[in-house]
Amino acid sequence: MADAASGSTDRSVQVKLVLLGEAAVGKSSVVLRFVSNEFQANKEPTIGAAFLTQKCRLEDRVLRYEIWDTAGQERFHSLAPMYYRNAQAAVVVYDVTKASSLEKAKTWVKELQRQANPNIVIALAGNKIDLVQPSSSSSSTPSSPEPEDEADDATATPGENAGDGEGESLRQVPREEAEAYAQEAGLLFFETSAKTGEGIVEIFTEIAKKIPIDQILASSRGGANRAGAAGGRAAGQEGGVNLDENAGKGKDACNC
Amino acid sequence: MATISTQLRNFKEPTKEQLTQLFFSLPPEPLYNGDPSTPDKGMGELEKMEISAMLTVSGEEPCTGKLYLIPPYLAFASLDRKSVRFTIPLCTIRKVERLSARAGVYALGLSLWHQMKIIVQLTALRPTADLFCSLLRDALKSELQRGQMKAVKGFVNTCYSEVMVSLDDSKDGPATKSDEHTESMYLGGLGLKFKFPGDPKKLREASKTKLWISYLKTHGRNLTLLRFPQCTRLVQVGLPNRLRGEMWETLSGSVYLRFANPGEYERILEQNKGRTSTSTEEIEKDLHRSLPEYSAYQSDVGIAALRRVLQAYSFKNPETGYCQAMNILAAAILIYMSEEQAFWLLEVICDRLLPGYYSTSMHGTLLDQRVFESLVHRCLPVIHDHFQQVDVQLSVASLPWFLSLFINSMPMVFAFRIIDCFFCMGPKVLFQVASDNTAILKINGEKLLQIQDDGGFIHLMREYFASLGDSAHPDSPDPRARAITRFQELLLVSFREFAVITDDTILSERRKFRSEVVHSIESFSKRSAIRNLKTLERFNKDQAGLIYDALFKAICIIPPPAVSLPPPTLLTTKEATEERPETRIELRTFKVFLSEICTWARTEKVVSNGFQQRVDREVADHELIDRLFYFWDTAYRGALSFQDLVSGLDGVMFNDLMENIEWFFNLHDKNKDGFLSKDEVLTLCESLLFIFRFEIGDAYLGAVSRFMSNAFEYGDALLPAKEGPNGEEELPQIESNQPYINLATFRMVVLADEILESFFETDFSATFKLEPVPMMEIPNSNNGILGGLWSNIASDDNRKIFHKFTDEIGKSIGKHQILYRPAIGKFTTLEEPKARESLLTPTMRRSASKASLSATDSSTSISVATSQLSQLNVDLDASTTSLPSSIFSPVPPMLQAANAVAFMERTPFAIDDAKDDDEESEDGSEFEDGVMDEVDAFIEAHDTGLTEAERELAKDLINAEPVK
Ligand SMILES: Nc1nc2c(ncn2[C@@H]2O[C@H](COP(=O)(O)OP(=O)(O)O)[C@@H](O)[C@H]2O)c(=O)[nH]1
Ligand SMILES: [Mg+2]
Repeated sequence: MADAASGSTDRSVQVKLVLLGEAAVGKSSVVLRFVSNEFQANKEPTIGAAFLTQKCRLEDRVLRYEIWDTAGQERFHSLAPMYYRNAQAAVVVYDVTKASSLEKAKTWVKELQRQANPNIVIALAGNKIDLVQPSSSSSSTPSSPEPEDEADDATATPGENAGDGEGESLRQVPREEAEAYAQEAGLLFFETSAKTGEGIVEIFTEIAKKIPIDQILASSRGGANRAGAAGGRAAGQEGGVNLDENAGKGKDACNC
Repeated sequence: MATISTQLRNFKEPTKEQLTQLFFSLPPEPLYNGDPSTPDKGMGELEKMEISAMLTVSGEEPCTGKLYLIPPYLAFASLDRKSVRFTIPLCTIRKVERLSARAGVYALGLSLWHQMKIIVQLTALRPTADLFCSLLRDALKSELQRGQMKAVKGFVNTCYSEVMVSLDDSKDGPATKSDEHTESMYLGGLGLKFKFPGDPKKLREASKTKLWISYLKTHGRNLTLLRFPQCTRLVQVGLPNRLRGEMWETLSGSVYLRFANPGEYERILEQNKGRTSTSTEEIEKDLHRSLPEYSAYQSDVGIAALRRVLQAYSFKNPETGYCQAMNILAAAILIYMSEEQAFWLLEVICDRLLPGYYSTSMHGTLLDQRVFESLVHRCLPVIHDHFQQVDVQLSVASLPWFLSLFINSMPMVFAFRIIDCFFCMGPKVLFQVASDNTAILKINGEKLLQIQDDGGFIHLMREYFASLGDSAHPDSPDPRARAITRFQELLLVSFREFAVITDDTILSERRKFRSEVVHSIESFSKRSAIRNLKTLERFNKDQAGLIYDALFKAICIIPPPAVSLPPPTLLTTKEATEERPETRIELRTFKVFLSEICTWARTEKVVSNGFQQRVDREVADHELIDRLFYFWDTAYRGALSFQDLVSGLDGVMFNDLMENIEWFFNLHDKNKDGFLSKDEVLTLCESLLFIFRFEIGDAYLGAVSRFMSNAFEYGDALLPAKEGPNGEEELPQIESNQPYINLATFRMVVLADEILESFFETDFSATFKLEPVPMMEIPNSNNGILGGLWSNIASDDNRKIFHKFTDEIGKSIGKHQILYRPAIGKFTTLEEPKARESLLTPTMRRSASKASLSATDSSTSISVATSQLSQLNVDLDASTTSLPSSIFSPVPPMLQAANAVAFMERTPFAIDDAKDDDEESEDGSEFEDGVMDEVDAFIEAHDTGLTEAERELAKDLINAEPVK
């Protein structure tokens, strides 16, 4: 990225965004869809976090997303603070066919709200809706899912060809439930499919609208040292590289 | 949803003996003895010994060093601990002869499998040398008895090096027919079928193979490999593909595990056939994303092999199970070795080479990232400062380097060469290469300044890794210099400029940062645990933190049972794995937990012995505590989670008078029918007596007594009168286990008594106190844990010794006194004893006497006191001297060296004779030059430390005859 240094002259704004969520909910697929508009079944596994960038136009401005796609395995959880520190945005992903993944998403939201940059914009994304949608030809199924549907087929494995009419029964997380939660917690909310591309770009454009761009621009123009640029973080820290989630925060951070 | 792990507290610094075993890549002992096919007699009794020795092998400079007998292995290391070394199983020794040489020289000739002869001159005093010989003889005999000698032949045939050497032999001599036969025996990786990564010509496979054949012919191979400087250099230029797997095994020492545990891999797979677990599910998710670009992993053959190896590891090590990144490692090594070989190598990587990297807390990873950062700080201060200034974290880039050994970070062929060095030279290689990766920023200051955030750093590193195949000196007039790739230079410079990073540096740095890392992991999980509580109830976060601390301490003392895998027959339970793992404690641990928080759940003895007054705390044991445990176990799991404890405590700590009475009633209403039976009333009285057991005076005793008579009086009175068969009223009769009094009655009875009323009003809630848990007092039998942080424990032990000591003296001078601290402590003066009436039932009497019993516990007979005295003295001495063992690394020399490096310029390395770098020709005489140039580049000066006389002697020894 040779143009990285000259970033302050053009109108592009750099936004650090982190993806969090349970393993295999489709974080990497969402990013891949957004960055290169493709869907692949087998990809590189994510060790620690994968790093990608993508530009995004918003009215007259260009946002340059620096995306950190984190590993989802539970034991990597303690490494996450390393990636979400200084982030201006986060996408917390769950899988609409797996109820437990929403629970995990909630714990991520809680953690972000308490440990991350206080102005962080968080979006909740229920992924894999292609699995719970009727096949495109027959749109007879009512669009609002019945909560009762989640009960029995919970153990069925979400298959690639599950879209044929039966789709809705794979759903374990009703849209209303997740949406209500998102509203209550102050999150942007989307249902997405990395496979079909539905809802993916929207996440990133909505986030872009909500981010205080002028604030970022103002502070990055302010001086060469950008350490304080990211949403009012205290500049400088003593420990240098620090995996502790408190690294960039003041003393009050220990209150969870 | 919290898993609370205290495993980090169990860390023990390795002993000197363990460090030696580690150095020689020996398998940990229990594994060796655990072989079911051999009765485990013998090895335990066989003694270890080390002795100064000089090693002579024909064709090599003699070398002074130390010889170690560590049955069932013989090992040697040169004085510098790196240029020459070997580890050979005793069973490969075919003959030992005492050599007749000059007078005063004590030398042994060892004939090894592979028709090799080595000579060791024992440079110690005669009796020492004699002792060594006799121990060696015993050890050899034991190996013979175990039948290990016979195992060698079959095992060696599984090694590719045998084929390599014998093929070469047959080329020279008359061709033998047996070649094909042996070829079919050796183990190999997926690469044999699916091709090895990289272009064999570019990799100069033929030249490398030739060099290795000549080395392996004269220096042993697989089990008997002798490692001289040439071996290391040949590794540094890259192992040939077909030999790679075996050399990894040999260099890392995993070959000894495979040799010592024949059939184990298959057995593990067989025993766990069909079993599913969280690990197996996680493995499934990753199988198709492990080096998917390699053709074997696009086929079932490769995927199945990968699955079996990862599963076998997770079954063998259920605590670690499976961690992402292990799939990459396993997939990588399976290209070069068979499943069984890969299984053992994975074991060595995860256990010994990268300890704690893949554990559930990943503490090893975090620790080494911290260590790496500190090394960069020392060796590359300019970069460190810049990163600090722009707030860039090294780890965002370096974490995957360490976790997956560079495999996903740089082109695979290069990563494999780093891995070659890693197995040969140890984990320090990762630090050296990682430092050098970072150091490239230094040569190009402009690039360094470009880095303004984490992303910029990653980008630059990616760019650099992608260019590793390019020429390092594209503008050089010298064509050979132009031919040097950036990768070659990376390796060379890593080893040369970062030679200050040694095994010892890393060990001491790890020691230095361990407590810091452990602390941050533990406080991280504490915060997550509190954050993830479903409800804090009426506690605030600090209070929840205190509850957590008490729980953590209890878990340290009595760990909860490991989360056990379901038995193999009950598989496919989807629900079992849906649930998140959560730490739950059993009754035993609960008792410890409660004793931290609740005054009556512990027995506190105030001991004075004339020297000091102190409080000894013990965990109390009573049915009431068990009852509380089951009362809080609302989900009937037989175990309590953090949440259960918080909710349980909430139910009792915020109560007012009426709520407390109701709570106590419910606690004793076992079947929750809203009634206490007569039995339950008695149990309730017992509970009260237990709580009051150390209160001064008889006030509470009287209260309980009155309570009981009132309860039975009211209870009987309130029983519905029954119509008898003859129409007249009968005296109400009721079984002792039938519903007897209800809450209202109970309340009335309690409130009838002033003392009980005030007890339930304030005192009872106050027996639960959330106070900071003194973590330092964790009793632990291990000494010297965690250096700095845990040195307190050593002194804690000392304190115990001291207490015991002063108690004994106190007893002998009649000043020893124990008082029990009351749980409530309201009445401090003795009151007039009241008549006890007939209130103690037999069971109560028992429990009362139990309490008084423990008072006599500690009064050991005085007669022994004096004899113990002298011994205690000794103990005390021993433990005080061991105290200051938490040494910190000697910083100054290290710093100097580091600074020197920091100012060093990167000079292109010298090329001796410039020739045109033509395509290699197989039969050309100088075909090895390309490789040899590279080999030469790795030559390090090493001083054998031999005098001329010693050299002479060595020559003599080679030709010496055996004695008699
Ligand atoms: N049907 C469907 N499958 C998806 C979707 N997104 C991801 N997947 C699949 O879910 C699995 C896990 O995806 P991945 O992106 O690796 O998840 P991550 O672990 O959260 O990064 C892969 O097999 C994907 O092919 C989706 O939108 N629809
Ligand atoms: Mg991923």
